[in-house]
Amino acid sequence: MDRSLPVWALTGALLALLILLPLGWLVALSLSGDGGAGLASYRAAFTDVQLRKALWNTVVMAFWVGLASLAIGAPMAWLTARSDLPGKRTIRALMLASFVTPPFLGAFAWVMLAGPNAGLLNKLYRDLTGAQDPLMNIFSMTGLVFAVTLYTFPYVFIMIANTLELIASDLEEAAAILGARRFTVAVTVTLPMVAPAIASGFILAVLQALALFGSPAILALPAGFHTITTQIWSYFQYPPKLELAAAASMPLLVATALLLYLQRRLLGRRGYASVGGKTGQRRAVSLGPWRWPAFLGCLAVMTCSIFLPYGVLARAALSRAWAQPLSWDNLTLGNVWFTFWQYSATRSAIVNTLELGVMTATVGAVMAALLAYTVNRRLVPGSQVLPFLVLAPVVIPGVVLAVGLFIAYTRPPLLLYGTLWILFAAYLTKELPVGYSQSDATFRGVHAELEEAGRILGAGRLRVLGEITAPLARSGIIATWCFIFIGVIRELSASIILFTPNTKVMSVVIFDLKEEGQFGAIAVLGLFMLLMTFATVTLMQTLLGRDVLGVRE
Amino acid sequence: MPGVTISGLTKRYGDVAAVEGLDLVVAPGELVALLGPSGCGKTTTLRLVAGFLVPEAGEIRVGDRCLSSASSVVPPEHRKMAMIFQSYALWPHMTVAQNVAYGLRVGRRVAKPERERRVREILKAVQLAGFERRYPGELSGGQQQRVAVARALVVEPEILLLDEPLSNLDANLREEMRFEIRRLHEAFGITTLYVTHDQAEAMVISDRIAVLDRGRVVQVGTAADLFERPRTRFVAQFIGRTNLVEGVVAAPGVVLRGRLSLRVPAGETKPGDRVAVSIRPHTITLLADEPARPAGAEENGMRGTVRRASYLGAGVDYEVEIEDADVTLRVAAPPPARLAPGARVSLAVPVEACLPLADA
Repeated sequence: MDRSLPVWALTGALLALLILLPLGWLVALSLSGDGGAGLASYRAAFTDVQLRKALWNTVVMAFWVGLASLAIGAPMAWLTARSDLPGKRTIRALMLASFVTPPFLGAFAWVMLAGPNAGLLNKLYRDLTGAQDPLMNIFSMTGLVFAVTLYTFPYVFIMIANTLELIASDLEEAAAILGARRFTVAVTVTLPMVAPAIASGFILAVLQALALFGSPAILALPAGFHTITTQIWSYFQYPPKLELAAAASMPLLVATALLLYLQRRLLGRRGYASVGGKTGQRRAVSLGPWRWPAFLGCLAVMTCSIFLPYGVLARAALSRAWAQPLSWDNLTLGNVWFTFWQYSATRSAIVNTLELGVMTATVGAVMAALLAYTVNRRLVPGSQVLPFLVLAPVVIPGVVLAVGLFIAYTRPPLLLYGTLWILFAAYLTKELPVGYSQSDATFRGVHAELEEAGRILGAGRLRVLGEITAPLARSGIIATWCFIFIGVIRELSASIILFTPNTKVMSVVIFDLKEEGQFGAIAVLGLFMLLMTFATVTLMQTLLGRDVLGVRE
Repeated sequence: MPGVTISGLTKRYGDVAAVEGLDLVVAPGELVALLGPSGCGKTTTLRLVAGFLVPEAGEIRVGDRCLSSASSVVPPEHRKMAMIFQSYALWPHMTVAQNVAYGLRVGRRVAKPERERRVREILKAVQLAGFERRYPGELSGGQQQRVAVARALVVEPEILLLDEPLSNLDANLREEMRFEIRRLHEAFGITTLYVTHDQAEAMVISDRIAVLDRGRVVQVGTAADLFERPRTRFVAQFIGRTNLVEGVVAAPGVVLRGRLSLRVPAGETKPGDRVAVSIRPHTITLLADEPARPAGAEENGMRGTVRRASYLGAGVDYEVEIEDADVTLRVAAPPPARLAPGARVSLAVPVEACLPLADA
């Protein structure tokens, strides 16, 4: 028998454990309760008026975020993919920046920009107009939708831009030569081909909004309402109500699974989105006099998403009082000093974050590579099941996963709560789908014949893996590592439930600092996090030699 | 130098049998081509021989060693074989010399000085001396092809396997490489299995050709055997072009099609059998509107009308509608094009050129 078999089998088994254990406990506990097995917890949870309100709020928020993301992302995708818009590269670079910006940092920044009293934009508005009321209040449903959309619309953008790039212009020209006007071509040819991408982009945005914890915690709680994620989190505040949390997780889990299934169905018929293939020429549509207004429009969006938030973070990081006017007196490095040297939690949090980031990325990249390899080369009987398992965490929002892990690992045989290991398990599980997809693409690119050529000349499977496959897949695997690392250092929604005083990570410390009103320190730590992210992204772009967003030049 | 004996080999993918009860004997030092349309099981057979696939039934023996059976399979790395792949499968991260030396280093564990000497020699043999330090990406298609050949030959394998190695080359180079591969085979004399879907390639390169259809060998023989004495209509159609005239055996040596009667060599056919008579286009003689020549004892005579004439340079391709039978024959005649569409002609075919073939 093949000596390498245990390696593949073991990886598969570890994967099963990692995913089935927390999910199993989640379901089991939601079904148990004070009165033994049954639906008592569900009854308790769903007769709770507050939870029902939270559910409704979540639906409202996610729906509007989806719609708004579509309204912003779709036109921008078309403009950058198919028109002669100026500064396309700049727009794309900013899009990438907004894509990797942790939404909770954006939400923080917008508190400083559009808080009803001290918000800088509101102050500016009052100074200019003499009005008493603020221009906008970020602590509201509208504010929440706004702040979430700013970091969610890139998903729609990527989805649609990538599809548009696949549609060769001759498909549209074929319609034009048959007598269709430009508008008719757009409606009868282009739009139907992009429709699946539009729908699935919308779903992706909704999914993103559903799972979000940070932004609602920062914007909705002060406004006096809950979303489902903050509600689940509140069940963990003393005294913890685990059964309720488990039961409340279920609708989120089911909704996510359904939406994702729907999205896959839509994309599964992708055949016609790529008709014409990659070879076709794409000619840019001339915008005429609308070129510059369109560019300004895009710039305005990116201003809200990047320039204003980053600006206000930088300002807060370097001033004694962020709300005071910029002046030499107000300028200080004290926040940096305070954050890194005085505030006790920071340094251990940075160490924890880095440790977890490196560990998760390394183990995750190796595991994803082994799994993708096993599946691609059909090494184990039944390996076709593995993709379902490894992609399953996609349907598990961070908060829900955390509930499952909390339940699973606070009891024997695996007592991991209170250690970094539980966070490690959470991050690994959460990041595996991304890692797997990335690795899968990598191994698809390594032709099986390259390995067979080594086998027939006398090398065993593991030797071929080490000498031929690994060097060829190296840059792809390192890129996977970077993807996971970025995901880990910004993770908040699972960490916020699983951390203990000794196992805080950077995102949790930022969250704590917010409770203390330490805006300067938040800004410093936030910018530090962004710096690490962008360094990793740059490394990855260099290695892959292409845009990480997948949009071709 | 051992030969290969394949018996009762079967490989299924789900319900579909890719190879079903395949038998084939390759003599020591012989080059046999596995020829067939796509999906006939030829590549699957090769990969079974290489040990990349496990058979459901049957055996593959090399010399007196059993390498594959349903119960045990020697892994590819222990088979002392070499293979040339359709994609060449050159490792892009290794130089030409590293690619070629790999099998010596890993499989045969040849010491370094000896290794370097053999790599140099084989690269000379494939006319790539001086290319040692190049990377595959820096070579042309034909050069990559030759590196793949060198990498396979340098280990002096017992068995050499080739999987459509020329299909990625352009037409001119392909023709050149056919002779090159034949030359190398004559120089090294390694027992070889060669998979291809191109009958001309198979005819140039191989000692014998095994024609595969739906997972079985339908006929094995030299190129001349297959062309002149095909045993089934599949083989007749696959090796060279032919006319097939469907009919019924009326008496020993006579096939009827409508009012057309063809004399054929009396073979294994029995009266009442449905057969297809294969008539190669070049065996037919066309005579311009002359009174029907009385057919000789060894000839079939027919009359017909030219429907289409295509001048091809080296010859003329006619389509002739035969009188009294719903049959159109293609005729390959020497140039110049003397007959225009509409011309009435008489045709003559030697009896031994009309081969009655069963359906199977």
